[in-house]
Amino acid sequence: MKTYEVFLKKAGRDEFRHAGSLDAPDPEMALMYARETHARRAEGAEMWLVERGNVLVADPDALAVNDDKPHRHNDGTLVAARRKERREGDDS
Amino acid sequence: MTLDAAERALLLALADDEHMVGARHTNWIGLGPFLEEDLAFCSIAQDELGHAIGLYEILLSDLPDSVELDKYAMLRDAADYRSCWLAEVDCSEWSDSLVRHWLYDRAEALRWGALTGCPDERVAALAIRALREEAFHLDHAERFMGRVAGADATGKIAASINRLMPLARGLWDVPAEGDPIASGFTSRPITELAAEWETLIAADLERWGADSTLPGSTVSTDQVHRTIRSEGFDAFHADLQRVILLDTSAIW
Repeated sequence: MKTYEVFLKKAGRDEFRHAGSLDAPDPEMALMYARETHARRAEGAEMWLVERGNVLVADPDALAVNDDKPHRHNDGTLVAARRKERREGDDS
Repeated sequence: MTLDAAERALLLALADDEHMVGARHTNWIGLGPFLEEDLAFCSIAQDELGHAIGLYEILLSDLPDSVELDKYAMLRDAADYRSCWLAEVDCSEWSDSLVRHWLYDRAEALRWGALTGCPDERVAALAIRALREEAFHLDHAERFMGRVAGADATGKIAASINRLMPLARGLWDVPAEGDPIASGFTSRPITELAAEWETLIAADLERWGADSTLPGSTVSTDQVHRTIRSEGFDAFHADLQRVILLDTSAIW
């Protein structure tokens, strides 16, 4: 048996999302089982299956170096504060 | 449109087959050989029960008096069912259930296929819907059997075929009321479907590298136009009735 990762996409503009995984003896049966294990109530209009061994997995340590970089988060508050400051400056 | 006796008999045989085989398949819920197969087999069981409901609805809507579907499905006398033995028998071994699934769904594709042009529009619509689901059932049966029937190191599949094949021929027992081919209700005679079914079964086995000599029978498997129930039917029937008999007036 091999493990397959299942991705589903609803009709429309939604993106594919990971729906779970399943075990199957080969790709043909994996496709058949995936429909019954993950889409039996029409949870998706499109489905991708990827054998787990074919997924490229990044090293968590390589990702961790970006944990402490708040300056890369742009939620707009700094810009908003500067605009407010400018506006209030103009009023006076 | 009112169904005549032969048309009713054909639909009742199909309905009771779907009901019995669907109910028997559900015995694998939680017990399938692995989780994914458990779910797939349970979907097939649900589909078969759905087909039975569709057929019972047609049969009941054609009766002058109102009869509740659940009661008709569950509470008839054993002698009034028209299921075949293949659909009724206990298949507690997975190999038996798998072989039954394959033999039965090979037949179903042919039986529904002969009804897609039925002049009764309710029957034709149900046949078209059922065939869409049957394509998955057959695909499942072929893929699973194709992977185990040829190797069959333990001989279990061959033993199941030897056990079930003689019973399975009862699928094609023409009802006492006759074959409704004459009225154009079906597009092909039952005897013709039976012959094609045997050819397809043998061809499957050959393709899978299994022994394609189909077994005959040393015991009587004459199901007398489906009027005789198989061994073990009463216990199975009692099991099916267990919930409805708790309160026959309950509304679900």
